[in-house]
Amino acid sequence: MKYDKVVTTTAWSPGPGCHGGCGVKLFVRDDKVVRVEGDENHPFSQGRACPRLLALTQYMYHPERITHPLKRVGPRGSGEFVRISWDEALDTIEARLREIKDDYGPESVLFCQGTGRDIGGPISFLAYSYGSPNWIQLGLAGHSCYTPRLGAMMATQGDYAVLDAAQFSPQRYDDPEYRVPEVIVIWAQNPAPGCPDGFFGHWIVDCMKRGSKLIVIDPRWTWFSAKAEMFLQIRPGTDGALALAMINVIISEKLYDEKFVSEWTVGLDELRERAAEYTPRRVAEITWIPEADIIAAARMYAKAKPAAIHWGVPVDKSPEGTTVAQAINHLWCLTGNLDVPGGNVIARPAYGVTTYPFSTQEMHALYGEDFVNRLNEKRIGAKEYAMVRNFRGWAQPDVAVEQMISGEPYPIKACWIQTSNVLGGQAADTRLHHEALKKMDFVVVADLFHNPTTMAVADIVLPVASLAEKESFRSWWAPLQVITPAVQVGECRSDWEINFELAKRFNPELGKRFPTLKDLFDDRLKPTGMSYDELRDAGGWMMPPENSASRPYRRHERGLLRPDGKPGFRTPSGKIEFASQSYAQWGLDPLPYFSEPPESEVRTPELLAKYPLVMVSGRRSSVFFHSEHRNIPWLRECDPDPIVEIHPSVAKANGIEDGAWVTIENDRGAIRRKAKVTPIVHPRIVSVPHGWWLPETEGREPNLFGIWDVNCNVLVPMGTQSKSGYGGGAYKTTLVRVRAAEGRGE
Amino acid sequence: MARFGIGIDIEKCTGCHSCFLACKDEFVGNDHLPTAAAQPHGGHSWIRVKEVEQGSGTKVKVDYVPVLCQHCNSLACAKVAPEGAVYRRADGIVIIDPVKAKGCKAMVDACPYGVVYWNQDADLPQKCTMCAHMLDAGEKTTRCAEVCPTGALVFGDLDDVTSPVSRMLAEKAGKLEALKPEFGTGPSVCYSGLPKVFIAGEVLFSNRGSECASGVKVVLKDATGKKIEETLTDCFGDFTFRDLETNEGYVVNVEHVGYAPLELAVRAFASQNLGELVLKAK
Repeated sequence: MKYDKVVTTTAWSPGPGCHGGCGVKLFVRDDKVVRVEGDENHPFSQGRACPRLLALTQYMYHPERITHPLKRVGPRGSGEFVRISWDEALDTIEARLREIKDDYGPESVLFCQGTGRDIGGPISFLAYSYGSPNWIQLGLAGHSCYTPRLGAMMATQGDYAVLDAAQFSPQRYDDPEYRVPEVIVIWAQNPAPGCPDGFFGHWIVDCMKRGSKLIVIDPRWTWFSAKAEMFLQIRPGTDGALALAMINVIISEKLYDEKFVSEWTVGLDELRERAAEYTPRRVAEITWIPEADIIAAARMYAKAKPAAIHWGVPVDKSPEGTTVAQAINHLWCLTGNLDVPGGNVIARPAYGVTTYPFSTQEMHALYGEDFVNRLNEKRIGAKEYAMVRNFRGWAQPDVAVEQMISGEPYPIKACWIQTSNVLGGQAADTRLHHEALKKMDFVVVADLFHNPTTMAVADIVLPVASLAEKESFRSWWAPLQVITPAVQVGECRSDWEINFELAKRFNPELGKRFPTLKDLFDDRLKPTGMSYDELRDAGGWMMPPENSASRPYRRHERGLLRPDGKPGFRTPSGKIEFASQSYAQWGLDPLPYFSEPPESEVRTPELLAKYPLVMVSGRRSSVFFHSEHRNIPWLRECDPDPIVEIHPSVAKANGIEDGAWVTIENDRGAIRRKAKVTPIVHPRIVSVPHGWWLPETEGREPNLFGIWDVNCNVLVPMGTQSKSGYGGGAYKTTLVRVRAAEGRGE
Repeated sequence: MARFGIGIDIEKCTGCHSCFLACKDEFVGNDHLPTAAAQPHGGHSWIRVKEVEQGSGTKVKVDYVPVLCQHCNSLACAKVAPEGAVYRRADGIVIIDPVKAKGCKAMVDACPYGVVYWNQDADLPQKCTMCAHMLDAGEKTTRCAEVCPTGALVFGDLDDVTSPVSRMLAEKAGKLEALKPEFGTGPSVCYSGLPKVFIAGEVLFSNRGSECASGVKVVLKDATGKKIEETLTDCFGDFTFRDLETNEGYVVNVEHVGYAPLELAVRAFASQNLGELVLKAK
């Protein structure tokens, strides 16, 4: 086959949908992408591609893709939209948002995004240019996705850390300094189908091939747990107790790294005392994991050198997620596995380049402390929640949805929704969000396809470019890399283009400082000494330079982590803090602790009598990214039905046969799913994959592509957030019952 | 002349479906004559990934088995096809001729592996071609092998000891097997680690609380009492006998000094977790 050109670029966002990072080759013929392959010269993915990337052509050229701006002409929910020009769309949006700003203040507009895609930059620049502090993952209860872990890591060691798969070295596993982890703890994650938070899941398989042994912690058997030395089948939401029991074993048996702990940490005595409350025997009762297994796992992890922990989003979704993350973080600090080859290495973006100011520290640097303080005054949840105020510039979603309905303390009038299908995706208590969004005077959705959210509430829909059609860059840990356009589809524009254009209209200063988007990119890339074009022409990616703050290992010894250049960590004490001064300052318990899920056998036994099963949502599928891809035929063929995984004993007791439709219900409602009877789930849980809507069914109200029938988040509550404001969304711990569904047609 | 083959190491397959997608990317809407007409948009799985989850409780195994045309030596599909509609090339690749096979729906049912698909619009039976058009153009591998993220599926020349498939076959020597050898068709696709039934359990001592009974001898015998295998329980008191014959009768013996021996008859109609086996102190 002949191609006009082959474009090498970075996979991120529209297309595979995910957190990205893979090197990809796009084969173009007649201005169309006709073939997709992994880029074998790219250090991140080393030639590999996933199903969603391989289905890119079907995604890009889907007959139902939105390829020009739309304006709603019928009532909301009617699905009646007409084509408009970009000028009309942007002029309308600008005019309506200006009116709202004049009447109610800029804070009355929420800028809503989905998970970690190529969006943080575009949307935060737009929100702040408009003047709204309310940048938010609307619907994500407790903002329970990585932010809690990031907050805990920042508080504990002043930096983030990830499992070391040599991802910061251009030589990868062949780097002479690198060592493969002797033991990997996979804590609540299924790496192969879900590449979380800038981590390529197959790196774990790479390590297994090189000898890593696994400890897997999960309520559900996966390919990885079936291959693990130890599999701890945990009660959902009790990860904090398990971590504390492991800490207890490691400290009381003196399995911790005494030299590292005495040199680089503070607070061991306090932690010892706290962990002593969590004996393996007591924690065995809490977690459903046998006492002997808890002890054995703690010993196996602590004795291995090096050992690393790879964790997943259920940590955030545990009750008091920020304290659960803190406890797990303590494990790699106690054992001296921080920033050593094959341990958990400190993760900073290459060259310190970020697409957007990420933490409060960076916000201060870019916008100035005054502006950030003013934002905090109005940011939803910042008054009530210390970490919302002090760690990261998100508004708090549980408080926000209440405010959308109550109008207190100030009204919310509009939503800008981008990279997020709120109603078909992350929103817990879907009905509440439906009601709240319906109250908005104005809603803009930027997306690639119609979905339950566009159908229910969009007034204007903007067509977004896929990764193959956009210019952007990615700086999530390493490498620092560019995204290069290969083709144009319809009138689609990238999230960056759309938002930059509008941001300049609201904030002409921005336009003066950065006349073009490239100017803004170049400014962000300044620490590299290269421009966007230079980076692109140099091959498109760069690993962090040696002997820099963004390149492992042992940076604390070399004075590379602290602003003052002294050895140690970027914490108030300069050490790793087992008892966190930051937590204490924020009015939180400085030490980790365990809290029962909001609904559980211990906290609500009366509810358990009625709803005896724990619904765990969120199992990953290699062919879907959250609520995306149900409309991509090749992908849907691999995972065709909205299923519920039920243990054979539960199925038998409830008269449910494999493949039959079942009703899953609690006091918040009922949904239906197709039973998959399987031994991989614990008999006291049901696993209900999230993000399901049925694009093949009616999109207009009231059906909204079947969300009331199949979306499991209908059953999940809001308002269960942690004391810190981050963590605690009950997506993994909601109690339900199942029964055979009556007369379900296909 | 090369002799092509595919090797599949089940141990490494994570069930990601990338092979299925790469096949779609290569063949859907693309004619690659004379070896393949375009694959239709839906309904065909020239390579599909079968999920096998077995066992119960604390003894569960999760495997994925990619299934594609086995490029057999003895062609069940050819038996129902007109002359020349199916042929095996000198390099071992079995091709359904996209012209001569028109209308021959019988091939779909004739394949015991169920990997021949009917293209309604083209009136044509279709299947995996081992990406013959790419190999003929000088490429070194198939799309499915190229895209496999873990190296579970490898391709190459069976006569070249340095090819990926030869290397895998050498590494797995003695552990290689055909998918459904009972079909007797002589496949060119070779597997290692196909999921089989297993018998597993956990041994406890009646008088030692929750302590794990490690180092306990467990013996597996066939139905006539002949010893097949013996093992010692691990540090958790667990044991597993793998790769057993489906539907056979077995006997499991557990013995330890100072305890009464246990004997259990087991029929392996599916993988069995015998659960907790408590040894009573004498």
